[in-house]
Amino acid sequence: MTMWKRKLLDRLFSGSAYGAIAVMAFFLVIVIGPIFLKGIGAYLFEGTIDYRRMMLNQFNRGDEQVLDVEWAEVKQERKIIYDALFAFEKELDNMSSSRRRELKPAFKQTKEAVAILLGPEPGTPLPALPRRLYGQTRWERAELKAKDVLFEESWDYSGAQGKKVMTPRAPLFKGTALEPLFSKVEKDLESLMRPERTFYPQFLTDKSIDAHFFGGIGPEVMGTIYLALGAMLIAVPLGVIAAIYFQEYAKEGFVFSLLRSCVNTLAGVPSVVFGLFGLAFFINTLRVSPGKSVVAGALTLALLVLPTVIRAAEEAIASVPHTYKEAALSLGAGKWRTILTVILPAALPGILTGIVISMGRAAGETAPIIFTAAVSVGPIVLPSEIFTTSTPALSWNLYNICTEHEAVDEIRHVQYGMALTLVMIVLALNTLAIVLRAKVSRKLKG
Amino acid sequence: MKQTEQFILSEADLRRRKFFAILGQTFLFAITSVAALAVLAIIFFIARDALPFFSGSRTWAFFTSKEWYPTSATPKFGAAAIFAGSFIVTLTAVLFAVPPGILAAVCLSDLLPFNVRQVVKPVVEILAAIPSVVYGFFALVVLAPFLQDTLGAASGVNALNASIILAIMALPTIVSVSEDALQAAGRELREGSYALGATRAETLLKVVIPSAMSGIFSAVLLGIMRALGETMVVWMASGNAAQIPSPFYNLLQPIRTLTATIAGDMGEADQMTGSAHYHVLFAMGLSLLIFSFLCNLAGEWVVNRQRKRLRGA
Repeated sequence: MTMWKRKLLDRLFSGSAYGAIAVMAFFLVIVIGPIFLKGIGAYLFEGTIDYRRMMLNQFNRGDEQVLDVEWAEVKQERKIIYDALFAFEKELDNMSSSRRRELKPAFKQTKEAVAILLGPEPGTPLPALPRRLYGQTRWERAELKAKDVLFEESWDYSGAQGKKVMTPRAPLFKGTALEPLFSKVEKDLESLMRPERTFYPQFLTDKSIDAHFFGGIGPEVMGTIYLALGAMLIAVPLGVIAAIYFQEYAKEGFVFSLLRSCVNTLAGVPSVVFGLFGLAFFINTLRVSPGKSVVAGALTLALLVLPTVIRAAEEAIASVPHTYKEAALSLGAGKWRTILTVILPAALPGILTGIVISMGRAAGETAPIIFTAAVSVGPIVLPSEIFTTSTPALSWNLYNICTEHEAVDEIRHVQYGMALTLVMIVLALNTLAIVLRAKVSRKLKG
Repeated sequence: MKQTEQFILSEADLRRRKFFAILGQTFLFAITSVAALAVLAIIFFIARDALPFFSGSRTWAFFTSKEWYPTSATPKFGAAAIFAGSFIVTLTAVLFAVPPGILAAVCLSDLLPFNVRQVVKPVVEILAAIPSVVYGFFALVVLAPFLQDTLGAASGVNALNASIILAIMALPTIVSVSEDALQAAGRELREGSYALGATRAETLLKVVIPSAMSGIFSAVLLGIMRALGETMVVWMASGNAAQIPSPFYNLLQPIRTLTATIAGDMGEADQMTGSAHYHVLFAMGLSLLIFSFLCNLAGEWVVNRQRKRLRGA
């Protein structure tokens, strides 16, 4: 092979290696980017007058007097719409039957679309579902729903794949009493909805109303905190004690290697199998709770993170310089005292790093809690109920509201907000771990 | 005279100390055993609830039949298509993930300067830390519509979608374990090769990577285990249709995996008393456990063989 060929191959190889790193960074951006950008929308968005009314009614937030004034103005604006609807309904009665047959279905659709955009018409009986009590609470949803008022949606199946066709309704109703409605919605949507930049930090703590149509993700956040903290409360003592045993007491031999490979095997068990085990053992055999409960879930998650905790604690203990231990022993301290007062404090930052990373893992795991702890809808669980009650959790409910929810498309902002919150919790814990580790390595360098 | 006596422990004190030392050690051993033997408990309880399923003809049908109708009046528990589904997505994901994974590991261990590595490593860690349900959400909401629009798949949730996401999830494992193996190969080996006039590519491809082969192999095994055991992503992104794609490499068709079946069906199965449906899901769990044990064993075998070879050389 000639020299230039070898050099070219060398370049190609290095290039593709750099490329692989770039690909990974690209994946990270692609996955995190949309979640971050759209997840912010759950906290920071353009809220409409209906959002402020909902907040006042459901959560008692906001200034009632200011809102009353604003609401009166908006009502005045919306009156044009309702007047048009009312006038057209009368006009419909006096039409020729063929014309009526032509216009009536389209009119019904328009009326329904208006009810979704602006909420129930004043003077009609209030709907039972809270989601129908108000108009669109978010400006971008309002713009979307305004399109439903203005256009008729149909599908063209002439090609290989169906194509959406939007036909404007206004020409159909030209010359009727309904005509002003369309121009009003098209041109004056802003004064109908009054969007205002809204910051909604309580999204993190509020209960959800009507299956996440309104409100926040408080129960899910609390559930995740319960489960992650509970898992760590169980896993940390077990894991640290096991690490001390492996590093300071165990002697090479059959028992040692058996225990060792048991821990290694535990690390390889698929997470859904942990869930099955939690169901079969903690709930159906030990009966720690009558059914799914926070405790059963925490126990299952504790087993899942145990190998990680043990490994991290072992590494931390092993990296404590031998001289520390020898100095303590030479001063007459017993083995116990050496471990408790010298080795553990020196290994503490390393152990903490492992704990923090495991906690992030416990917070994000879904499969182990499906059969042991998670429930789709529920209030915030009180500390006294952890032995008896199942809880919503961010991870499970994210799955739930983007697959099993009855109106998946309507609550995208909640899904993104939940995903962002979960990612932020996990990333915050991981960043903490990275900072802790940097501190440890600096300390060990001296 | 009196002062020195204070430093010498009496017989009773010594005995007490020894007693407590042994007591403490026993306590430590007991706790450690609980932690370690949990895995045996897992095997026992999964097997206990799986065994009632394996009776007579059902066992044979479980592994060979493609008819999965667990909730019909005469339930059929043929899981062959589901096993095939797990196999297909795992294999594809690993095929996607291994080449860039090893290249990225090479880059981290040999190409990047130290301070750049300090920046790149957290990228790998964050990719590993993102919860699987978030990956699933991404697959469902972002990747599925994209696949549907660009590749013209009938549905965006299919084997390809699940494989891509599983590959992204297996990457960090493969990268960090192979990087450790590459670094363990040592400086002398590289310097020897450079001294003979080899280029960097030749050194890495012909000397360093072959010598780190066992570590890379266990990295791939860990990647396989991660992809095989992953639940949420395949549940959300694979389409959950219990069928073998035809032809089998047609990744644009939906499939169903073992993990997704367990997660999805356990809600319908009778959890307390234990119906056949309940037991068949445990049988699937047991199969997953056995697969992961086999992977573990294979990994340990390769590492031990390598260790012996190095000791012998």
